[in-house]
Amino acid sequence: MDWISTAINGALLGGLYGLFGLGLALVFGVMRIVNLSHGEFIVMGAFLGVFLVAAMPQVPPWLMIVPVVVAGYAAGWLLQAGVVNLAVRTGDHLTPLLLTFGLSVVLRNGMVELFGADSRAIDGGRLTSAGFDLFGLHLGVYPLVVLALSIVLFVGVQRVVRHTEFGRVLRATADSPQVARLMGVAPERVFRQVMGLSIAFAAGAGFLLAMRSSFTPFSGVERLLIAFEVVIIGGLGSFWGALLGGILLGMAQLLGQKYDSNAGALYAHLLFVVSLVLLPRGLAGERR
Amino acid sequence: MPLLELKDVDVFYGDLQATFGVSFALDESEVLALIGANGAGKSTLLNAIVGVAAARRGSIRFADESVLGLPIERIAVRGIALVPEGRMLFASLSVEENLQMGGITRRKGPWNLDAVYSLFPMLAAMRKRPATQLSGGQQQMVSIGRALMANPRLLLCDELSLGLAPVVVDEIYRAFARIREQGLAIVVVEQDVRRACAVADRMVCLLKGRVTLAGPVESADHERIAAAYFGE
Repeated sequence: MDWISTAINGALLGGLYGLFGLGLALVFGVMRIVNLSHGEFIVMGAFLGVFLVAAMPQVPPWLMIVPVVVAGYAAGWLLQAGVVNLAVRTGDHLTPLLLTFGLSVVLRNGMVELFGADSRAIDGGRLTSAGFDLFGLHLGVYPLVVLALSIVLFVGVQRVVRHTEFGRVLRATADSPQVARLMGVAPERVFRQVMGLSIAFAAGAGFLLAMRSSFTPFSGVERLLIAFEVVIIGGLGSFWGALLGGILLGMAQLLGQKYDSNAGALYAHLLFVVSLVLLPRGLAGERR
Repeated sequence: MPLLELKDVDVFYGDLQATFGVSFALDESEVLALIGANGAGKSTLLNAIVGVAAARRGSIRFADESVLGLPIERIAVRGIALVPEGRMLFASLSVEENLQMGGITRRKGPWNLDAVYSLFPMLAAMRKRPATQLSGGQQQMVSIGRALMANPRLLLCDELSLGLAPVVVDEIYRAFARIREQGLAIVVVEQDVRRACAVADRMVCLLKGRVTLAGPVESADHERIAAAYFGE
């Protein structure tokens, strides 16, 4: 029963991991850009959450996800408008990669400078400590809420991309920015919105993670690694794949830790390697 | 006042000059056939009009405003639509979604999904299929429909017949008559002179980037066109 409980908790954690990958998958899917500073934005979302929760103790902590997500969108929009669009314009795929790598180093060290290297967490109050028993399994309310929120977001993004005009414009721009221009679409504008959404998801996921575990300014690297693994296990550019990839990674991590308490995220990474060997195009990619 | 006016247009690809002082004009509701052999500069001129290729010298005016140097998307919004060579449909989008992309500019006019399906009835049955899974002729119909969905004032058609079976080309050119009824101006770029001249009011023949013949279609006889086309 213990193992089943661990597997379920892993799946619940996986919802959050899926969210890490969602923004990365979105940016890669539309712009073919790998944002190496994605992890730092996850951590920045967490830091913003810490300060907002501390600054407004009368407001329920979970509500602070709203300003964090809004700030994330603004940061992503500005990032794209300010520098990444310039890098995209060079036409060299390496330029945005190097740019976001440099940005990740600057942001990480900037956070150390500003906030110090101490680990922090958001006290989520009753929401994060509440749990219940179901068929002999003990489940936390908060992880369940996070998984539900992830599923809602994934379904929402999938529906927007498949069934709205904005989604059509995204897919058309991903296919060919130049032909999209001929239709009257300004790809730079689309890219700003996509990066805004991506960082909004990243910041929101960072906030949610900070309510369940601690983080430091250096946590971004580990978060980025998970986001990458989620996207690659799922299949590049696939949203459903990213959610499934996140759930599998979460399960592998917690089951691995139960088997060997010193393992950390080793088994999650091993799962990534195995999936890369067996399904190099990812779960969704293989299905296509 | 012509709808479209090109004056002394020189287009370069890097250091290579593709057109030399090309001038022509087009009125509302007029159809112009832009003919010439492969490499004559026809597609280059269309690309210059829509902003894809930059004209280094000369002027390009549309509806009495210069469009030279404007971003491609802003030229599209002003009412110029291109049916590009090779169709260039969006591979991730269905037939209907491709058509809807043409309507992004939200320009008012007679063309909407129903009107396009009425023009090309076979597309209606394929509306949910990925556009790039269609035959070449059907893809060309989607490409024309997508351009019409923008309700343009000027439609530029680049090599409609290229790579298509003659029976399909006949069908596409039959649709032209109905497109003309809506009163938009059209530039038809073709290597197939007979087809282009059959639908056009006037023609401009290019040879190695220079205009060698221009005038009403009926004024140009076979010998003059051949001389202008081949440079004999």
